[in-house]
Amino acid sequence: MTGERVTGLRATTGAGVRALVTGLGGELGTRVALLLEARPEVEAVSGLDIEPPRRYLERTDFHRVDPRDRARNVAIVREFEPTVVVHVGTYEPNARCSPKAAVERTEAGAIGVLGAAAECPSLERIVLRSGIEVYGRGRGAATRPDESVPPEPTTPFGHSLLHAERVAGVAGDVADVPVTALRLAPVMGPHFPSPLGRYLRLPAVPVSATSDLPFSLLHQEDAAEAIVAAVFAGHDGPVNVVGDGAITASQAARFGGRLPVPIAGPAWWAARVLAEVAGSPVPDHVRELLVRGRTADGGRAGSVLGVHPRWDTIDVVKDLFQWAGVTYVTFGDAAEEVA
Amino acid sequence: MTTATGALLRRRIDGTFAVDPWGLDAELVELLAPAARLRWDIDVQGALALPGGPLALVANRRLGLSEPWVVAEAVRRLGGRHVRWVGIPDVVPVGPGLRRLGGVLDRPDEIAGLLRAGEVVGLSLGREPARRHHAGALHPEVLAPVVETGAKVVPVAVDGRELGRRWRVVVGEALEPAVHPGPLAVADLAEQARAAVQHLLDRL
Repeated sequence: MTGERVTGLRATTGAGVRALVTGLGGELGTRVALLLEARPEVEAVSGLDIEPPRRYLERTDFHRVDPRDRARNVAIVREFEPTVVVHVGTYEPNARCSPKAAVERTEAGAIGVLGAAAECPSLERIVLRSGIEVYGRGRGAATRPDESVPPEPTTPFGHSLLHAERVAGVAGDVADVPVTALRLAPVMGPHFPSPLGRYLRLPAVPVSATSDLPFSLLHQEDAAEAIVAAVFAGHDGPVNVVGDGAITASQAARFGGRLPVPIAGPAWWAARVLAEVAGSPVPDHVRELLVRGRTADGGRAGSVLGVHPRWDTIDVVKDLFQWAGVTYVTFGDAAEEVA
Repeated sequence: MTTATGALLRRRIDGTFAVDPWGLDAELVELLAPAARLRWDIDVQGALALPGGPLALVANRRLGLSEPWVVAEAVRRLGGRHVRWVGIPDVVPVGPGLRRLGGVLDRPDEIAGLLRAGEVVGLSLGREPARRHHAGALHPEVLAPVVETGAKVVPVAVDGRELGRRWRVVVGEALEPAVHPGPLAVADLAEQARAAVQHLLDRL
């Protein structure tokens, strides 16, 4: 996954694209499938996940399967014969499942799906949803790394993403196809399951009293569009996708009218327990972000994918707090609207 | 209270002030400017019109405590740009605090990223605590990202006593970026930059 191995998709030669989307049950996976369905070059879309898609998909063939069920995953991939695998099935701890399940699903899903895809003669490229968590935030680590900085993850989520990148790299080498690893900034948006989003929406937000460093975000729409752009770009190698600008945790809390509570040392333990009780568990990578910040240089996304995030980090935070409440519609109103 | 002061206070309270990805809080630097003027009386001379775009300032230092702040304050007064001084420790709470004022880590990728973003990066020559007007050594590796990004190098001479208030900053003419990047170009540029700073110090 290091050279510039770029090949054209069948679409460029007139044949149809057969896209296999993993992680279809997530907001991102569903949105990617919707965008792929809208492309005339895409002949067929098939999707896998343990949960059903979050929207109605017109021409996507959905398979409800646990990523840890390797035999079923392999069988589905072989039968579908994808030309491109869009591996969105990398699970963030405490987003849709527990940290343990997230690691297990990410690792097993990568091996099962990408391993099987590598053996399909039809395969032309792989696109992987990774994250800037792979760079890690250890002492002295680059503040705003670009893709040339070697990954040194410091959290379980970062290790899990790097493992998926390595599996995808091996699969790409075996199949001799380009692998685009999209290292997304923390993705957020309305209805997007995110432990960071939940945490920042608490009424009182514990923040670091000694190290309130900035982080960058990526809107869910920009993330989905970057993934689809990568399907058609065929770049071989990692690409950071990051919204412009940055914000600190205390700023983000105040943006939403929340009360930032500066804490340090052992108080983090109590804060994490209280946040979990309040329905917002704080996995290690979120705690690291709150204390050490997390940004990356997203310049390459524009040059190799032709995409530039439309929402900057401040816009993403505003969107998080402007999340409209549920509007209850009576049966009479709904029937009138349908008529 | 004026409208501008009211707006500033509102931004500090509701969190809508800007912090860049490296941690610089430009508004905080402006707020601290009066305190800087009380501490340092800075006389700026030389090529006062700094070139636009990415720049690497190379300055001498004795103990190195005041020099980064003196040069940063001088450059801010000249054109409103903020110097990102390289070499802060990544230790809480000092590191994050210095980042707010423009400090960055001493890493080639950090310097390269800042220059790609069009920032002004401050690089220090080796410490010379015993010799007042002497430009210390400059390790060529520090300038590798400068050559890589094609940024201009501006020599700067700083003169003053650590416990005193009066400081002089002399800004030299920008050195042109290397035509053919490579280890030799980096070594040549490092020697040119050090010699240019020494030349400015000799004229003090």
